[in-house]
Amino acid sequence: MVSKMKITKSKAYKTFTNPIWGNNPVSIQMLGICSALAVTVQLKTAVVMSLSLALVVAFSSMIISLLRKHIPRDIRILVELAIIATLVIVADEFLRAFFYDISKQLSVFVGLIITNCIVMGRAEAFALSNPPHLAFVDGLGNGAGYGSVLVTVAFIRELLGSGKLFGFRVIPESLYAAGYEDMGFMLLAPAAFIIIGLLVWLQKSLARD
Amino acid sequence: MSDTLRSLLFSMVLCLVCGTLLTAASSGLKEIQQKNMTIDQRKNILKSVGLIREDQTYSGEEINRIYEQNIRRLIADHDGNVIQASSSNTKKEEKALPIYLYTTKAGAVEAYVIPVDTQGLWGKIYGYLALKNDGATIIGFTIYKHSETPGLGGEIEQNWFQQNFVGKKIIAPGGEFVSISIAKGKADGSAPKNRQANFVDGISGATLTGQFLTQGLKEILTSYEGVSVAFRNTEEYCRKSTDRPWCRK
Repeated sequence: MVSKMKITKSKAYKTFTNPIWGNNPVSIQMLGICSALAVTVQLKTAVVMSLSLALVVAFSSMIISLLRKHIPRDIRILVELAIIATLVIVADEFLRAFFYDISKQLSVFVGLIITNCIVMGRAEAFALSNPPHLAFVDGLGNGAGYGSVLVTVAFIRELLGSGKLFGFRVIPESLYAAGYEDMGFMLLAPAAFIIIGLLVWLQKSLARD
Repeated sequence: MSDTLRSLLFSMVLCLVCGTLLTAASSGLKEIQQKNMTIDQRKNILKSVGLIREDQTYSGEEINRIYEQNIRRLIADHDGNVIQASSSNTKKEEKALPIYLYTTKAGAVEAYVIPVDTQGLWGKIYGYLALKNDGATIIGFTIYKHSETPGLGGEIEQNWFQQNFVGKKIIAPGGEFVSISIAKGKADGSAPKNRQANFVDGISGATLTGQFLTQGLKEILTSYEGVSVAFRNTEEYCRKSTDRPWCRK
C-alpha cells in the first residue's frame, strides 16, 4: 500500500498520466489533429501510428533534454527539428534493412511523425526544462494520450464505416441481409473531425464535474 | 564567445553530426535494403501469378528459388517481338517493355506479368499485373510500393482490393481493347451491364486514387497492347515467326 502511494505520487507517474487525461495532447491541446484524421479509418493503422509516435516523442525528448544545457536558445527550434528528423529517418533506414515488412507498413507514417506538432510541442514545452528520464516518460505519456484518442476514434470509424474491427468483420452478414448498411461517411475525414469534437465535449463536461 | 558565434558553431556541429549519421545509415545499409527490395519485388511477381500464398511466410532464399525456377524476364517491343532475353536489369529504353514470363516445367508459358509503375494521388504506385496466356484475362494484381493515405487509398495494397482484379478482362466482349477500370463504389452499381468484366470495385473514400490507377493502368496496358495481341493470337503469330518464347517449337 505504501509503495503504491509512492508510485502514484512520484513525479514520473504524474508526468506519465497527466497527458493521458488532464492535459491530453489531442483533446485538450488540440495538437496532432491532421494525422488523427488520416490514420483513424482503421484500428490497425491507428495503433501502428500511436506506437511509432510514442517511441519517437520519448526518444527525441530524451535526446533534446540531454542537450538542453548546450542548445543555444535562439536556434533551439531548428535544432529540435534537425534532431527529430534525423532520428526518425535513421530509424527508418534500419527498419528497411532489417525489418523490411514492418518498414513497409510504416513508410507512409514517417513523414506524418516528423511533422506531428506533438513531437515539437513536447520538445519545446517539456524536454528543454526537465531531466532526460522525465522527458522520456513525458514522451511515452503523450504517446499514450495521443494513442487513446486515435484508437477511440478508429474504433468508432472502423466499426460504423466498414463493420469491422482490426480488419475482422464483426457486424454479421445477416444484419446486412436485413437491410443494414455501413455508414460511408465514417470513412471520410470529416467524420473524424466530428468524433474528435464529440470526444472533446465529453471530456470537458466530465472534467468540469 | 559571443552568442551568435556560439549558435553558428553549434549548428555547424549539429549539421555535421546529423549529416554523418544520415549518410552512414543510408549508404551503409544500402546493400541490404537493395536485397530486401529485390526479394520483395520477386515476391510480388510470384504472388501475382499465384505461385505463393498470401497467408504463408517465405524466407528470402525460398522466394529466390521459386522465382528462378518459374519466372523469366525478357524485353519486348511495342509489336510484341522479343528484343532480348535478359535476366539482369537493363536501362529504361524508349521502346523496351520488360515482361516476366511464368513458364511451367514443361516449357509452356502460363502467364505474363507486366510491371506497373504509375502516378497515384500522393506519389508513385509500383506493382505487377499478371495476365493469362490468352492475353485478355487478369490472374493477379499486386502493389509493393505506394504513398497513398493509410486506410483510404492505402487500401490498394490490401488483399481484398487486389483479389477484385482476378478473372477480370482487359478486352470488351467484342474483342477490342478497353483496359481495366476501378469503379466509383461497387462495380455492379456504376458500370454498364455488358462491361462488368472490365471494372473492379473501388475503395470508399479513395475515389482519386482509383482514378489515377485507372488512368495509369490504361496507359501501361496500351503500351503493352502489342504483347497482349501477340498472346491473343498465338497461333497466327507463331506461324509467322517462332522466336517468341511462348511459341512452342
